[in-house]
Amino acid sequence: MTVTRIVPANLSLYTAIAALMAVSISLQVVRDRGWQPYTPPDGVMWIRSGEVARRLALGFDNLAADVYWMRAVVYFGGQRISSEGKTFAQLFPLLDLVTSLDPHFNVAYRFGAIFLAEPHPGGAGRPDLAIELLKKGVANNPTRWEYVLDIGFIHYFSMQDYTLAADWFNRARAIKGAPEWLGPLAATTLAEGGSRESSRKLWTELRNSNADVDWLRAQADRRLKQLDAMDQIDQLNVVTRRFVERTGRAPLHWGEVATMERWRALPTDPSGMLYGLDQETGRVSLSEGSPLWPLPQGAAARQRP
Amino acid sequence: MGAAIETENLTKDFLVGFWRPRPYRALDALTLEVDAGEVFGFLGPNGAGKSTTLKLLMQLIFPTAGSARILGRPAGDVAVRKRIGFLAENPYYYDYLTAEEVLTYFARLFDLKDVHTRVSKVLDEVGIGGERRLRLRQFSKGMLQRVGLAQAILNEPEVVFLDEPMSGLDPIGRREVRDLILRLRARGCTVFFSSHILSDAETLCSRVAIMAQGRLAASGRISELVAFEPKGWELVVSGIEDALHGELAPRVAAMRPMSHGRYTIHLAATDRPEQLMTELRGRGARVESLNPIRDTLEDFFMQQIASAQQRDTSRL
Amino acid sequence: MRAIVLVAGAVFRESVRDRVPYSMVVFAVLLMAASYLISQLTAGQDLKIIKDLGLASIAIFGLLIAVFIGIGLVSKEVERKSVYGLLTKPVTRSQFILGKYAGLVLTLAINIAAMVVAYYAVLYYMDVTASAATRAGWPAPAMDPRLLLATLLIFAELAVITAVALFFSTFTSPLLAILLTLGLWIAGQFNADLRNFENVIDAPAAIWVAKVLYYVLPNLAPFNIKAEVVHGFPVSMRHVGLTLLYAAVYAGMLLVAAAAIFRRRDFK
Repeated sequence: MTVTRIVPANLSLYTAIAALMAVSISLQVVRDRGWQPYTPPDGVMWIRSGEVARRLALGFDNLAADVYWMRAVVYFGGQRISSEGKTFAQLFPLLDLVTSLDPHFNVAYRFGAIFLAEPHPGGAGRPDLAIELLKKGVANNPTRWEYVLDIGFIHYFSMQDYTLAADWFNRARAIKGAPEWLGPLAATTLAEGGSRESSRKLWTELRNSNADVDWLRAQADRRLKQLDAMDQIDQLNVVTRRFVERTGRAPLHWGEVATMERWRALPTDPSGMLYGLDQETGRVSLSEGSPLWPLPQGAAARQRP
Repeated sequence: MGAAIETENLTKDFLVGFWRPRPYRALDALTLEVDAGEVFGFLGPNGAGKSTTLKLLMQLIFPTAGSARILGRPAGDVAVRKRIGFLAENPYYYDYLTAEEVLTYFARLFDLKDVHTRVSKVLDEVGIGGERRLRLRQFSKGMLQRVGLAQAILNEPEVVFLDEPMSGLDPIGRREVRDLILRLRARGCTVFFSSHILSDAETLCSRVAIMAQGRLAASGRISELVAFEPKGWELVVSGIEDALHGELAPRVAAMRPMSHGRYTIHLAATDRPEQLMTELRGRGARVESLNPIRDTLEDFFMQQIASAQQRDTSRL
Repeated sequence: MRAIVLVAGAVFRESVRDRVPYSMVVFAVLLMAASYLISQLTAGQDLKIIKDLGLASIAIFGLLIAVFIGIGLVSKEVERKSVYGLLTKPVTRSQFILGKYAGLVLTLAINIAAMVVAYYAVLYYMDVTASAATRAGWPAPAMDPRLLLATLLIFAELAVITAVALFFSTFTSPLLAILLTLGLWIAGQFNADLRNFENVIDAPAAIWVAKVLYYVLPNLAPFNIKAEVVHGFPVSMRHVGLTLLYAAVYAGMLLVAAAAIFRRRDFK
């Protein structure tokens, strides 16, 4: 409810406020186009120690963890789009801080697992730090088989150590509540460790068991597409080799191959980008402009007939 | 000669209540006129709307409806403020300034000439001596009230508004304020003051308005509002022995003991006090005083309040 | 106009007597002590630390003055009813607001000036007691006049915050006004991050909101050139000029808003 009052008119003042706001916005736009004060690419973390942070948080540990988590996300996104020196150097310290403040901050562990291990330019390229973070997660959350699985993952993909990977998969299986497919997974890893098939199986399982975590699913999809691309490259290499045998030289462009093979379209990778063709050797490769680049190295790149 | 102060249907609603605010009418359609040179008493119990009216006149708050004018200009007109003075209830100024400094500050705002002399004179007039160099932090309530009066008359105003000017003052202080008001009247200043102490109004005011529950209950000259004819007589007598007391008591309207042998006797208006006085002297008693009992403003006031309350309850 | 000057003068006189000078003294003593201590403890980095500490102290103490006295100017006065005395004089409510602001900015300026004098005194001591070799190693001179530029921007930032404080105190209680002002100061430091939201978040609605907030809320990060000045990096005068202009316009807008609210307030 309101009561009426006979008050002086403010119209001229409101107009002035609007005008001044407009001027201040324009000034900001003009100023922002020019020189900006120095912001160090990595920012400054005044507090690196989890203990200190916990004391300073004065009991609001969870909230502080949330704030640092948001900072980690913004930092990560910022690094991703920055044009110079993507080092992601602060990612581990930030995630370490988040998990010190809140040892049960699940998504921080999983995020770290993926993006700390991911090589440049997509991530920090520090699988060792990723494992350190995950081990902390396991210590604080012994029922989380996902963290143990993730450690196995890192051994598999980043370090190509299939024995250790299988070992960790088995450990994950031993935890109550872990899914059944971990067993066959460990076996496959031991047997064919590094094959595209087992990799594909791993990523598919990871994708399906984490259907609700967007970025995890996106990452898994990407990896699967990379595996598809590798298969396609193998098949295409067979075709180009045939071309070389028949014509005695490498194809100049895909059009020639398409004519010979009677293709309806030119070969593109799962992201829609045309494959690269080496004009001297005829070897097929993924275009560097493709979002799937670079393809994973190591045993997974081995061809399987 | 135009009115010094006029209001027309001046109304003010406030919202009260925290969870479900409701409008509360603090002032209801007040229409009043105060002539120049008058001392006008604005009377009523607490909560009657007196302070609200004063604040509306000073435009410290804004009306819901109606209008007010001071010296022919609308309330809130900045120029007219040079010609008026205002004393708020329980005034408070600036802790860290001295009395002299506050008044000098205000004098400069008024754009007065001879600031220093004026300030000095006004401080003398309200009875602040050496304390004028002390910071207001150290002033007592009574001293602050004096500073308030000082700043109200600093600019030699044509109209002065005083909200409960006697509050917080001891009897000496009250007497000084009364004298100040009389001096202002002598200078031709219009004085509009609110009070709930009626005896002051009786001696000072030419006209009064009585407020009750936000409405004007009555207004006019005191002599018109309050009957002048005595309602009865009051005698103070001494030297009355018990036997005499027993004899007299049934003959008179009332007989109350004061101390040993001293009594107050009330007679009806129709009785002749001279007869009783002669008789008492004959019996060895002494008559100490004889006074007519008249309606005071207070009686009138209480009657008005009571009937205003009745009007309200009957309306509910 | 006269009225504004008179009100400003009264504000200044009152705040000078209101223990404010003591904070200046405290700051100066703090700085002296810090510089003596540090020169014993560290080797080589002492000038940078003194410069950093000095600028930070000016910024923090200045902020405390701006917020606490700024709130007291209007909120406290309304609460204690001393506003009645002034508003019944020939002063408009807008002049009241402007006068209060001018007085406080003056107080701020004098305080900051005094702190700068103490600051430069310490820097002079550093300069005079350092060897030629040490001096050669400094990225910027001890008594660098560019420190004044950093201080000027700090002052401008505080002038904006004072306007924020004044604005809030026209319609809320003193406590709430302090909290809101400090909150906006903190938000103002991080405001620049809002600009980069679009690179991190996907939802277009959120990006739009972030952009609006960036422009509407006070953007205080550009006032901070402390790092550049201390390290001897260049500073664009165009940036300084535009930022000062922004401060004037933004503070002006807040004052108009404060006046608009104050003009219609009931003082019960």
